[in-house]
Amino acid sequence: MKYPVLFIAVLLIMAALIAGCTQQASTQQQTTSVSQGVIKVGVIASLTGPASNVGTSMWQSAQVAADKINANGGVTLKDGSKAQLNLVVGDDESTATGGQKAATKLITDDKVDILVGGYSSAVTSAYEQTIADNKIPFIVTGASSPIITHRTDGIDTSYIFHHCPTTDTYGHYTTTFIDQVIRPAVNKKLNASNDRPFRLALLYQNTAFGKGIQTAVNDTITKNQLNIVLVSQQSYTMGDSDFRTQLTAIKAANPDALYLGAFPNEGAPAITQARRDIGLNTIFLSPENNDNAQFYKDLGQYGEGSIIESRFSPYTAPTGPVTDDQAAFKQAYFAKFGTYPDMMGASTYDGVFIAAKAIGNAGTTDKAAVKQALVNLNMPQVIEAMKNQTISFSPDFRESGFDLWMEQLAFNQTLGEPRPSIVWPDNLKTTDFVLPSWYTAGSA
Amino acid sequence: MDNLGIFLQIMFWGLYAGCIYILLATGLNLIFGVMKIVNFAHGEFLMIGAYITATIFFLTGINPYVIILLSMLVLIGIGAVVERLCFRPILGTGKLNEIFLSIGLIYIFQNGAAMIWGDAWQSVRSPYGGIEVPVGPLSIPLDYIIIIVFTAMILVALYLFLRKTRTGMEMRATSQNRKGAMLVGIDVERIDIISFGLGCALAAAAGTLWVVSGQVFNPYMGSIPAVKAFAIIIIGGLGSIPGAIIGGLLMGIAENGAAFLLGGIWKDAVSFIILIVVLVIRPTGLFGEKGE
Repeated sequence: MKYPVLFIAVLLIMAALIAGCTQQASTQQQTTSVSQGVIKVGVIASLTGPASNVGTSMWQSAQVAADKINANGGVTLKDGSKAQLNLVVGDDESTATGGQKAATKLITDDKVDILVGGYSSAVTSAYEQTIADNKIPFIVTGASSPIITHRTDGIDTSYIFHHCPTTDTYGHYTTTFIDQVIRPAVNKKLNASNDRPFRLALLYQNTAFGKGIQTAVNDTITKNQLNIVLVSQQSYTMGDSDFRTQLTAIKAANPDALYLGAFPNEGAPAITQARRDIGLNTIFLSPENNDNAQFYKDLGQYGEGSIIESRFSPYTAPTGPVTDDQAAFKQAYFAKFGTYPDMMGASTYDGVFIAAKAIGNAGTTDKAAVKQALVNLNMPQVIEAMKNQTISFSPDFRESGFDLWMEQLAFNQTLGEPRPSIVWPDNLKTTDFVLPSWYTAGSA
Repeated sequence: MDNLGIFLQIMFWGLYAGCIYILLATGLNLIFGVMKIVNFAHGEFLMIGAYITATIFFLTGINPYVIILLSMLVLIGIGAVVERLCFRPILGTGKLNEIFLSIGLIYIFQNGAAMIWGDAWQSVRSPYGGIEVPVGPLSIPLDYIIIIVFTAMILVALYLFLRKTRTGMEMRATSQNRKGAMLVGIDVERIDIISFGLGCALAAAAGTLWVVSGQVFNPYMGSIPAVKAFAIIIIGGLGSIPGAIIGGLLMGIAENGAAFLLGGIWKDAVSFIILIVVLVIRPTGLFGEKGE
């Protein structure tokens, strides 16, 4: 009996050691404390599990931001001394329980001064109670449900600051784009009058994120009395990669376009399966978290004509004040990691700058003072285009305001992947939206 | 598409999903039938099979349907090593040891794969993407026809192996009565290795077909399919290969039917509703026998 027990014990230890390898490598930087002139910034990201692709970009972007801040001398505190940023990562493992463990570890073991990051609304909202209990400032840069700062269950979110457009914001924005750009184009193609109702279908993840998009689309249509009818609303479980049945149901409803409330690892196979297996030759619209290098790679030729709502892209940028800063960030990121950052990486990069600015303004790492500095924050935009080119948080729900845009993808034969161009709004667009030649409009 | 067309299309997607489940569950049942061990890490062999196929495809550009054979061969080897080093020492020492061992293996394989291949989602393009075959009122992508044909061929080959070869007959004998098999001179440890390797090879085939059908994969992809494979072998009857085939088909069709009629969130739940119903009506599973 001794032998198998010993053997299993060795196996379990090996598993734990291997599991710890990545974590160890990622947390090498955590060797000093606040008293040594160092500000500890905790970064919560999904380094493992289904969202690891986005989470890795968030963590690596935070490192690029910290490198830049530290290279410029660090953060000036109240007594005139300079402090360097020291990042400590917590892997939420793409799960709610993993998120709780990561937040607790960063706060109680690593004793970080401020938190940045958080991906997936379902995961992030699971550890908001821990944030409230410890009263630590947390700049959320990757979870987009409004629930993050709009909780109605009594959990105090006053230390949480949301630097990421909510599903309300971009659901509304995308529906407006459909009404103002795609609907007229389809009517023109069909020689139909403006009275023809636009037939929109939804395929959404059955989580706070996906349902948030569904709610935003429904609310926008109702409140603005748009001439859009939702012909099919299909859901799926987070992490699914077989959507053929839902897509068959959607095709049977004859939509003019399909809006996917999906993560990149779900959206890419959904669009591929729709075009390749189901023959659903329509316009696919994806939310901003899909503007990710892997998404383009996975889509291949099937991405042609698709639309992504965006605020940061690995492959394009709006002309204006942020163009050069975004290019510099992408270059620094590529030089360090050999890949390109995604959108949640960009907002996390911003998030580290916001954390540094708030601590600098407070002149201390005292958590209540830093929270107040975030409430009063009014700083120039960093790399993401913000409303009035300024980062500040709304007084009611502590949300920052972004300038968004819509991209359309065109297949690049040489690269074997699609590439985006901005098609809306008019002040940012580089080309016009077009209906692909293979596009088939829906019918009642 | 009319209602009949939609119904047939949903049935077809169920058949496709069933093929993946059948291969995974048949492999699991083969191992359980012979060795009577519970291996929760079986989904990890599907994941490794997917990665081996994808890696060879990315490096060489060889048709992934050809790589399936290579992937199965590699998994026979990996399975044999795992059986010899991990499961054989604990055979007969209690189910708890098997459960903890297989849970440990899940972590080792998942993290090992993440270290080798990274943990980002990946996908593979089939060389037959865009080719469709008219089947009655449906227009079916060629890939799914190939997947169904491959599954059928693998199952026929397994049937012939078990029925017509000496080793196959020894496996069946060991499955029916391990002590009896030992008494008549069968080397049951050799049979264990072969059974485990074959079970892993079937999981590798499932992984390859998963990859070429356009589904994304990462090191953590095996857990859910493994849980479903367990539900299938319990529905079909522990140790029964016909049970695994019928159970896999039932699961695939029920899941897709539920996703269409009730919504996508019921897709996973319906598998376990069927499991509960089958266990209440027939505790030994559809094809199980008392005492198994």
